[in-house]
Amino acid sequence: AAMAPGRKITAKIKKTLPVTGPQAPTLSELMRWYCLNTNTHGCRRIVVSRGRLRRFIWILLTLSAVGLILWQCAELLLNYYSASVSVTVQFQKLSFPAVTICNINPYKYSAMKDYLSELDRETKNALETFYGFSEGKSKVRRSVGDGNGTGSELFQHIPLLKFEDFSRTVTDLHSGQKRKIEGKVFHKDSSIVNSGDSNDIIGFQLCDANNSSECALYTFSSGVNAIQEWYKLHYMNIMAQIPLETKEKLSYSADDLILTCFFDGLSCDKRHFTRFHHPLHGNCYTFNSGDNESVLSTSTGGSEYGLHVVLYIDEADYNPFLVTSTGAKIIVHDQNEYPFIEDIGTEIETAAATSIGMHFTRSRKLSKPYSDCTETGADIPVENLYNKSYSLQICLHSCFQKAMVESCGCAQYAQPLPAGAEYCNYKKNPNWMYCYYRLHERFVKEQLGCQQICKDACSFKEWALTTSIAQWPSAVSEDWMLRVLSWDKGQKLNKKLNKTDLANLMVFYKDLNERFISENPANTLVILLSNFGGQLGLWMSCSVVCVIEIVEVFFIDSLSIVLRRRWQKAKKWWNGRKSKQGGKPCPEGELERQGHENPACVDEDLPTFNTALRLPLPHESPLPRTPPPNYSTLRLEGSAAFTEQLPDTLDAGPR
Amino acid sequence: MNVKKYFVRALHRLQKGPGYTYKELLVWYCDNTNTHGPKRIIKEGPKKKFVWFFLTLLFASLVFWQWGILINTYLSYNVTSSLSIGFKTMKFPAVTVCNANPFKYSEVKPLLKELDRLIEAALERILQPSQGGSVLPLPLNGSDNLSQALDLSLWNQLPLVLIDEHDKDHPVIVDIFETNQTGLGNQTAAPDASNTTSEEKKYKLAVKLCSHEGPGNCIYRNFTSAAQAVTEWYILQSTSILSKVPLQERIRMGYQAEDMILACLYGAEPCNYKNFTQIYHPDHGNCYIFNWGMDEEALNSSNPGAEFGLKLILDISQQDYIPYLSSAAGARLMLHQQRSFPFLKDQGIYAMAGTETSIGVLVDELERMGYPYSDCTMNGSDVPVKNLYSEYNTSYSIQACLRSCFQNRMAEICGCGHYMFPLPEGVNYCNNEDNPGWAYCYSSLRSSVGHRQFCIDSCKETCNDTQYKMTISMADWPSEASEDWIFHILSYERDMSTNVTLDRNGIIKLNIYFQEYNYRTISESAATTIVWLLSSLGGQFGFWMGGSVLCLIEFGEIIIDSLWITVINAISWGKGLKQRRARARYPDAPPTVSELAEAHANPGFQHEDSGAQPAAALPPEPGTPPPNYDSLRVRPAAPGPDGDES
Repeated sequence: AAMAPGRKITAKIKKTLPVTGPQAPTLSELMRWYCLNTNTHGCRRIVVSRGRLRRFIWILLTLSAVGLILWQCAELLLNYYSASVSVTVQFQKLSFPAVTICNINPYKYSAMKDYLSELDRETKNALETFYGFSEGKSKVRRSVGDGNGTGSELFQHIPLLKFEDFSRTVTDLHSGQKRKIEGKVFHKDSSIVNSGDSNDIIGFQLCDANNSSECALYTFSSGVNAIQEWYKLHYMNIMAQIPLETKEKLSYSADDLILTCFFDGLSCDKRHFTRFHHPLHGNCYTFNSGDNESVLSTSTGGSEYGLHVVLYIDEADYNPFLVTSTGAKIIVHDQNEYPFIEDIGTEIETAAATSIGMHFTRSRKLSKPYSDCTETGADIPVENLYNKSYSLQICLHSCFQKAMVESCGCAQYAQPLPAGAEYCNYKKNPNWMYCYYRLHERFVKEQLGCQQICKDACSFKEWALTTSIAQWPSAVSEDWMLRVLSWDKGQKLNKKLNKTDLANLMVFYKDLNERFISENPANTLVILLSNFGGQLGLWMSCSVVCVIEIVEVFFIDSLSIVLRRRWQKAKKWWNGRKSKQGGKPCPEGELERQGHENPACVDEDLPTFNTALRLPLPHESPLPRTPPPNYSTLRLEGSAAFTEQLPDTLDAGPR
Repeated sequence: MNVKKYFVRALHRLQKGPGYTYKELLVWYCDNTNTHGPKRIIKEGPKKKFVWFFLTLLFASLVFWQWGILINTYLSYNVTSSLSIGFKTMKFPAVTVCNANPFKYSEVKPLLKELDRLIEAALERILQPSQGGSVLPLPLNGSDNLSQALDLSLWNQLPLVLIDEHDKDHPVIVDIFETNQTGLGNQTAAPDASNTTSEEKKYKLAVKLCSHEGPGNCIYRNFTSAAQAVTEWYILQSTSILSKVPLQERIRMGYQAEDMILACLYGAEPCNYKNFTQIYHPDHGNCYIFNWGMDEEALNSSNPGAEFGLKLILDISQQDYIPYLSSAAGARLMLHQQRSFPFLKDQGIYAMAGTETSIGVLVDELERMGYPYSDCTMNGSDVPVKNLYSEYNTSYSIQACLRSCFQNRMAEICGCGHYMFPLPEGVNYCNNEDNPGWAYCYSSLRSSVGHRQFCIDSCKETCNDTQYKMTISMADWPSEASEDWIFHILSYERDMSTNVTLDRNGIIKLNIYFQEYNYRTISESAATTIVWLLSSLGGQFGFWMGGSVLCLIEFGEIIIDSLWITVINAISWGKGLKQRRARARYPDAPPTVSELAEAHANPGFQHEDSGAQPAAALPPEPGTPPPNYDSLRVRPAAPGPDGDES
């Protein structure tokens, strides 16, 4: 009566919301109960089997079924992130790709005279010194000015060298002296020295400007390579100092390059081309760049309906040392892609009709957990220096340029400028060449980490090209064709065109089928769950409900039984000690709680079928009631011997 | 009376169902079903019961949701692709070889003589002012002798005009052979250069196309390049002339097989021009197809490499080209499937004279499943376009469909067929005499985007798409050292004379062979089959609830039962209503459901069941009887619920 209010409330709560523990008093009872009542197959057989061997076999089978389920489900989980590939073909109107066309020669040689005369003189000098090649016999243009032979600082600093005696003695181009040489030797063609060939080797030496003992020697097996490489090095030095506007003027204009243009059965002209300045190829022109207008598309395949251009390749105005081949370079690319014409361009021959049939394929990979590719390049820690969408090529070039600016202090000529940097030239950065070559060496050997940072793009478009060549113009049509084209070229050009100055190019879709190769997730969550369900059902006829049961029985119930046992033991021990000490009576509340946890009390309000229906418990009737049918169908009944032998099965339900 | 008896019996039978009330039925179901959740609802204590009820509902809804997703996935008819690559013995592709030039100039010269003279004279006129300066010299001033000899009627049907663009805003049209200069009355088809500043050409060449309805209805199709204008004009004119020539004559004017195919070797076996099937191709004249498979079995190639492929030596005799018609010289060839028509303009490649061209072939196949997986056609029978190429006895292809579609439109709109495509029934080829406005009609149709889109929409691609991926390489041939004897032998073989009739400009060597891996096949298979669907559905149901189809049937049974209960209740309610009306008000309230259930569950009634057994004089059967609907219900011995109520 004199209960504390707090205790009153707890008692009330207990009364209305009785928290009962598991019904089984011991763990083994619980297990037995579980096995008999669970929905999984197998467990029940363990309990109802008689004989040790049988029971053992059933335990083994059940355990192995559990093991199989775990193994198979693990496999399913591990294979979750796999992709299946689907190829779809769609016949449709296709957007025409951008076609970038460059002359192989970047700048008009006649216009470049002022800038290159010194370099050319030096080159010719080298040719004469080393190979006895004099200009009189050659076709080399005499237009190069006859300077008065002073020779700049620069060329003396990095002269061409001729090596004798296994690269130990060197003939200097300028002084003609022979001297011993120290330092590391880098061979562009490494097998030459090892083969023991005693032929003279040509190359050049790059030294660290700050520390002249640090030198790198570049040698080439052939003078052709050496001279071109050496020329290019100085050429880049010179070009880096010329502003972009001037360079654009020095190169070919659209009128110069494109003589006739025809697209999709209609005439087109230079307004359909966008100028794009490439550092190594001068002015290039992109057809259908999508800059000013919408992207053109073709709705008919075949050579008549593609792009048909005649290019004017002014062979007479070629730089003899920088480029040694004649023709044009083209690249077919997407409007958003940067044309890496120096890397993947297709060369076009002069005096020929090149017919390029395209076949369009679009691919798409799945990004993150499926494969290591990037959608937009935004997650790559390399700044995109090109004003175009991400590609692996762009990333690698940007990465190298970044490293170049960091370690050499200036930017390499062939790639775009990062913010705040400027192109290397000898006057401002005397050390850059040495630095560049060392850096490039490291880049190629993957020591800069660029190859690790840069990832593939997830989606890309590809135009597979089939290139074939026919003679053009044909022998009988040459005459009128050249006359009319000369007229086309306009009044300012007085000379008649030569057929080796012309290249005919046709770019067209072979068919309008677009192949789209895409990766799709092979598994979805739904399918994974279905597969789980299939596995669980196959081995044990189990479901999520069984899993919940297992959690309930094996974790919650077992734990509470163990805890209850412990608690009772502890209490017993405590009580024993108390009674030993002075026999202080237990508080009533404690007894009450004890009563609650007493399994005997709990049994009273068992939530069985009967209580659920609020039916009175069956009286001790001599005849058993019909048990719940599903689990009991196997049970034998009626024989007293059996019922005595299997008391558990009988008692399990009601208890 | 009989009917009433029957109803009573039926009612009695119905009453043998699993329960008399919904609750009883539900409890029975939960206890007996094989689905995992419901049993726990009734087996557990009140709180757990609630939890289990909630869980069961949740799982059931999860199952239905996921089933929805699965069925949706199935109905989207996805496909998976499998790729196989390797070498196998395959049919060697059909090889079509043509000359880039359709007819021998020596043969067609009489027909084209007038045209050539016209264009030569016109070119002379056009090229003249470039030296003279800005003023175009008026024609017919002292060159009457030239123009009198020309057949100006041919010219006037389809004239070339010069557009003088000295004054940007008012371009002047100058007809080349006439004196009248007119201002540009009608608009030009292509936009003019209007705001360019740099110095450029002052004259443009254009083709004047007039419809036959009247002289006012003309367009000027102008070209930035005179070379293109001349070629285009010449093609239009020569098409008109040649379309009047009968087919046999045209075949005779083309290149004959024995002249063109000089040597042939397939694998180790020699072959000759007789192994080629002649076909007349409007673009390229006589074409010859090797291994077309029309009459004979297609040849197989069982080895990779050039030694086991086709080797051909061709002569294209470049000196006999029509000068204005085709400016590129070479052989045109194409690899295609057996029994398909070669569309050389689309898929053909060139081979250059004076070279040896080696072509390594990889067969790239795509095998697709038809409807409903993808929108493709197996044989073209379901395409609404009449295939005009069926006269060649070739199979359907999208190119054939597009061309047929165009030709059908052309026949509809212009009233005649274009020379480049086969004719529909009852239509003739266009020519300038019979159809004066055909060039105008053709040009507008060709450049019309709407017509093209119409054809693209009505044609379907084939399900099996085969492409021949070619790796092309070239070398000079014959070498300078071997040139003499090769030319000598080949010339001798051709006409049995010692005159050398061949030169570098005409001779072509071709090697066509399978690469080391000669096929790459992408084949589709259905990603979701009905088996997949069933096993996924079963997996889902099993995963969440441990259920199967039988569980669904059980559930259905319960629903039927509950319907019966409703029927019974309705009947008894109706009965009760009648009786209540008849009688005075019954003093007691009707029994509640729980009371009824209690009454049924009275264990005392159980005796009847067991009591019946000894009466049957049979030994007690071991084991519970198979669970039937009555297993739970305790059958009342005394009057049933209906009787209670009454």
